[in-house]
Amino acid sequence: MRLIDTVFRQGHLSERALVDAIVLGQRPQHLDRCDICAERAVGLARWMDELQSDAAGMADDVFSPERLQAQQQQVMRRLEQLDQPARVIAFPAASRSEANGATGRRVAVSWVGVAAAAGLVIGVISGQVSARLTQQPPAPSVAAATTIVTPTPEPVFAEVTPGPVDTSILDNPYETLEVPSLAALNYMTPRVTQTALKK
Amino acid sequence: MSGDAAALNGREADTRAAVEVKALQAAGELAGARERFAELVARHQRRALRIAFHYVRDSADADEAVQDAFVKAYSHIGTFREDLPFEVWFTRILINGCLDRLKARKRREKWIVPTTVDASGIERNPADYLPSRGPSPEEHVLRQERRQQLHAALGQLPERQRLVFALSHFEGRSSREVSQLTGLNESTVRVHLFRAIRRLRGLLVKGGAKPGVGSRRVSRAAH
Repeated sequence: MRLIDTVFRQGHLSERALVDAIVLGQRPQHLDRCDICAERAVGLARWMDELQSDAAGMADDVFSPERLQAQQQQVMRRLEQLDQPARVIAFPAASRSEANGATGRRVAVSWVGVAAAAGLVIGVISGQVSARLTQQPPAPSVAAATTIVTPTPEPVFAEVTPGPVDTSILDNPYETLEVPSLAALNYMTPRVTQTALKK
Repeated sequence: MSGDAAALNGREADTRAAVEVKALQAAGELAGARERFAELVARHQRRALRIAFHYVRDSADADEAVQDAFVKAYSHIGTFREDLPFEVWFTRILINGCLDRLKARKRREKWIVPTTVDASGIERNPADYLPSRGPSPEEHVLRQERRQQLHAALGQLPERQRLVFALSHFEGRSSREVSQLTGLNESTVRVHLFRAIRRLRGLLVKGGAKPGVGSRRVSRAAH
């Protein structure tokens, strides 16, 4: 017997001690000596038994044998579903490619750098090549150009006569002498006077 | 003594069955594993439903919680340890599931008003709708009344007290077993149990519940 029971309860057991006695099944010696406490213990035990049977009855009323059976079947169905591997439906290739097209094809990041570098190199090289190809030869002087472009008069064939050499032909040979078959060559070659002027 | 022996045999049988299910699953014999597990379901179903029903206080929730607990136990049977009784392992899964449901319900109840008002506009206790079997109308009425009071009184207990009380009193578990099942300290279990009994006694005795005919516990405590 605890001191507190002796002091405050005139030696009778507390409710806690009774509950412990009933729940744990350890019968205190005091119950043999005290009829009051024994009666309290019996009353409490009866009440608890009644509570237990009521609670069990309440649950059993709700869960009838049919309901238990149905639940059991439901559990087994769920377990069966759990054991079956999930089916994976393969999508057609067309839809897949469409889907990829819609979302954009993924390219490795490293290749982007390579492509940029290659583009730069190709651009520089092609720029250099095109610059060299389009480079013009040194432009002829204005006077020469004028000479070339100037329409020539009708060819005049001078009569070759013996006698002193006419040096005028040297001064202006192209105006005085022109061969039609050599006209193209004539246009392409520089004039003596022009070369003399350059010198 | 024979009851204890039967319980021990039952535990051994449970553990053996659980180990077999584990082995069958590992071997890929799933049909066999399910068949063996069905035995465990049949053996623990009623007890599990009682615990869940008293804990969550709703038959539909209890039904689902028990189903989920069995499915979870089956799918995680690989983690089952032989040194722990299957019953303890399974009940822990069940209690955790019930606790999750209670939390979810509390969150829902913040937004939804419970419909406990019947067609005539009178507020009814859900226990009123429970089916019953009674030998006579008078006994039926008295029993219904008592159960309603019990249902209401249990509802007034804090969750943890209700769980400890249900496990130790309704299921007849010792404090140590309840401690194993709930993960609470053994002395804490006793405190919760005593507080629950004291509170229920206060509520039910004030509510007019009268003691009936005693049986097992009377003989154990008083003799």
